[in-house]
Amino acid sequence: MGKGIYVQELPGIGKRYDVDLGSNTQRISVVVRRDGTRDLYVFAAGKDDPVAVIEMSEEQARKVGALLAGTYFSE
Amino acid sequence: MHADLVGFGALVLIAGLLARAGRRINLPTVPFFMLAGILLGPGTPGPVLVAHPEDLSLLASLGLILLLFHLGVEFPVDQVLGSGKRLFVAAGSYIGLNVGAGLLFGFALGWGGYEAFVIAGALGISSSAIVTKLLIEFRRLANAETPVILGIIVIEDLFLALYLALLSPLLSGAGSAGELVLRIGLSFAYLVVLFAVARFGARLVGKVIDSNEDELLAILMVGLVVLVAGVSAEIGVSDAIGALMIGLVIARTPLRERVERLVLPLRDVFAAVFFLVFGLTIDVGDFGSVALPVLLAVLMTVVTNVVAGLIAGRLFGLNQRGAANVGLTVLGRGEFSLILATLAIAAGLDDRLGPFIALYVLVLAVTSPLLAANSRYLARIIPDRLLHASWRYVREETISTACTHLDRINITESDADACPQCVDSGDDWVQLRMCLTCGAVGCCSDSVNNHAEEHYRQTGHPLIRSLEEGEDWRYCYIDGALVREPMGATRE
Ligand SMILES: [Zn+2]
Ligand SMILES: [Zn+2]
Ligand SMILES: [Zn+2]
Repeated sequence: MGKGIYVQELPGIGKRYDVDLGSNTQRISVVVRRDGTRDLYVFAAGKDDPVAVIEMSEEQARKVGALLAGTYFSE
Repeated sequence: MHADLVGFGALVLIAGLLARAGRRINLPTVPFFMLAGILLGPGTPGPVLVAHPEDLSLLASLGLILLLFHLGVEFPVDQVLGSGKRLFVAAGSYIGLNVGAGLLFGFALGWGGYEAFVIAGALGISSSAIVTKLLIEFRRLANAETPVILGIIVIEDLFLALYLALLSPLLSGAGSAGELVLRIGLSFAYLVVLFAVARFGARLVGKVIDSNEDELLAILMVGLVVLVAGVSAEIGVSDAIGALMIGLVIARTPLRERVERLVLPLRDVFAAVFFLVFGLTIDVGDFGSVALPVLLAVLMTVVTNVVAGLIAGRLFGLNQRGAANVGLTVLGRGEFSLILATLAIAAGLDDRLGPFIALYVLVLAVTSPLLAANSRYLARIIPDRLLHASWRYVREETISTACTHLDRINITESDADACPQCVDSGDDWVQLRMCLTCGAVGCCSDSVNNHAEEHYRQTGHPLIRSLEEGEDWRYCYIDGALVREPMGATRE
């Protein structure tokens, strides 16, 4: 695992990855459930509850992941 | 006689529609399947879609078997074993309190000794499905109490297996005490054999059902599971345990992930039929006679859950909000209570058990999400002295384990008793905070100067702790949340 990514086991659900974006205003956590569903938790500065939670299927997560990683090319 | 397809199809469809309507307001599905069965069954006035529930008994037992098989397959053995002694103490006190109170309640009702054991399990064991869904829906997966809650319900699942191993021989109608001891011994010996198979023979069992084709794997899997469940029932151990244990065996094979995926839709459909058929056997007219005991049982369950939540809160250093969340989230009752009710009905125990457990599950299904969502009001009235640290300022706030700045902690103790900047300027302060990165001491946000936050703005050091007597909570300025080290975490 790369630096700045922290793992928390969630028994029966899966794993949560907390990502240090090095930013003082935004922070995300990704929950990977055992059934493949991903929950993207988005936190904003100064709020203890997430400001958005986006639920994605494995397929949708792959798409978003490709876009984020810059490996998606439209023909 | 064959069940009428039209009636059965309509019943399943209506159950699904009811459950879907319930999901719109975040209610769990299990009670709605049961409710459809109750409303459209022979025991309730009005339209009857299935007049003879016994015609569906094979489908219903398939539902029960697949439900427990899936539980076994996805049981997170390593995560539970790796989570430490504290969790077992928390889960043990949760189970002890709830099942113990349930047993006393059962005996107090005076319906009979076996009935009391069924009530103890039905009142004491919460629904992992309902609890997990609540945590996801309430967006609490980053909360400090969430791994504790998940750990408790997983250990409860394990307890369920042991409880079934004890209960099935009890309900089998053994004639003498000697015979009963023999049957309980046999039941646990069978458990040990299956554990041994899980430990040493998993690879072999995997070979029996292995196939590259999903179609064949699904068929072989269902055949094996039903066979093991059936053999278990023949031996006098319940089919439920057999299914759970063979699930644990499969979980140790490389087939685990595929089996988990394949069994899921089967489980969902047939488990729904199981809940439906249970509902069909309930006579709505009996609800009146059990209403008072149900009300008392629900109140008792809420109390024992809150107490268990406080114990977990103490053990894990949670604040009021965290402790309240534990107690009020683990409150959901569902599939396991209904499994125990079915066992009781099959064993010919007191007729009131069915309607009692049905109504109990229905009431808690509606109240538990409401209570869990409003945990902050409970947090407000829990006295500080019940939990370890004093949480005066932060009792209602969520503690997060998702802070990524914990690696910036260098220093955690200080014996400073003054804010140096306030001393210089001659101002007063209310409380003291300490920077966990450099140890600088400053005054809190209720003080005129709020030097602690000023220190964060100047240096970017994100974390502080309270220096007040007996308080040890930590706050991250960047996250704007109370934070703590996650339990059993691998921080890299
Ligand atoms: Zn932080
Ligand atoms: Zn500092
Ligand atoms: Zn000051």
